[in-house]
Amino acid sequence: MLVEPDLIERARQGDAGAFNQVVAAYRKRILGTISRLIGRPEDVEDVAQEVFVRLYYSLDQLRTPEVFEPWLYRLSVNACYDYLRRLRRRGEYRMADLSEQQVLMADSSASGKRSDEDAEKVRLREFVDALFRHVSEEDRLLLTLKEVEGLSLKELEKVYRVNENALKVRLFRARQRVLKAFQAAREDGKL
Amino acid sequence: MTMNDQRLDALFAQYRDACPEVEGSPEFMPVLWRRIEKRGSVAYLLPRLARLACAASAVICLVLAALVSLPGLAAPRPAASAATYADALSADHSAEKTYYTESIRATDNLVPADYSR
Repeated sequence: MLVEPDLIERARQGDAGAFNQVVAAYRKRILGTISRLIGRPEDVEDVAQEVFVRLYYSLDQLRTPEVFEPWLYRLSVNACYDYLRRLRRRGEYRMADLSEQQVLMADSSASGKRSDEDAEKVRLREFVDALFRHVSEEDRLLLTLKEVEGLSLKELEKVYRVNENALKVRLFRARQRVLKAFQAAREDGKL
Repeated sequence: MTMNDQRLDALFAQYRDACPEVEGSPEFMPVLWRRIEKRGSVAYLLPRLARLACAASAVICLVLAALVSLPGLAAPRPAASAATYADALSADHSAEKTYYTESIRATDNLVPADYSR
């Protein structure tokens, strides 16, 4: 845990200063997680704020400070789902209309400052994003939490409130699909 | 674990490193508190409650409509209701029996002695 249970307890009792400290401690982690889950940098802050607003109004339902982190992840995943659902309703795709590579090229031609290292990172992100398109939105979020965020099965069980075995099955299937796409991409020489 | 599994794990690790660090703007906290205050205000809650009430009314209407329209769910109609109003009146003698017989009984004792002979 990034903060002491006592601080969470004080925030739970309505101490605004304690709540500020909790947000400050988790802000970077939550922004990073949301960034990887929604794939739209321009909306990350908005979704993160929504997570902390929900946290503020649901803290009194937290049974014990020990389950705070899974609780926060659960709020984050739910906020991401809601955001992606709104996006779908508006008929927008998760990723920007232009690919990152295209944006990068436009930027490079404009400023000429983008380094090769950045270009490689962008290419890698695009490649993994393309692999993730072989699974559903729900499975992509689950797989990202497990494989990229590094959450354990026990933690995921608390986040999703689903039996560990059911999670294992879902994760295995999703990973197999991604692996298959990965193998195909390697055979095609895309990586 | 196969070689491709290991490669995929390595790819996920690289992906994590390749994702940009998001710091959040300096306005993050002030905006957050404004949103918290707005969420707790009546101006925010009222429209939400109104929407909730509308949704609940719509659900209740649908349930009632289903109860009325579905033959299996509808309450059995009494046989008398299929008859006309005149039939029902002619079939129902309870009122007459009650009022007239009761009044006859009540007036039995009031009959003058001369008349009873």
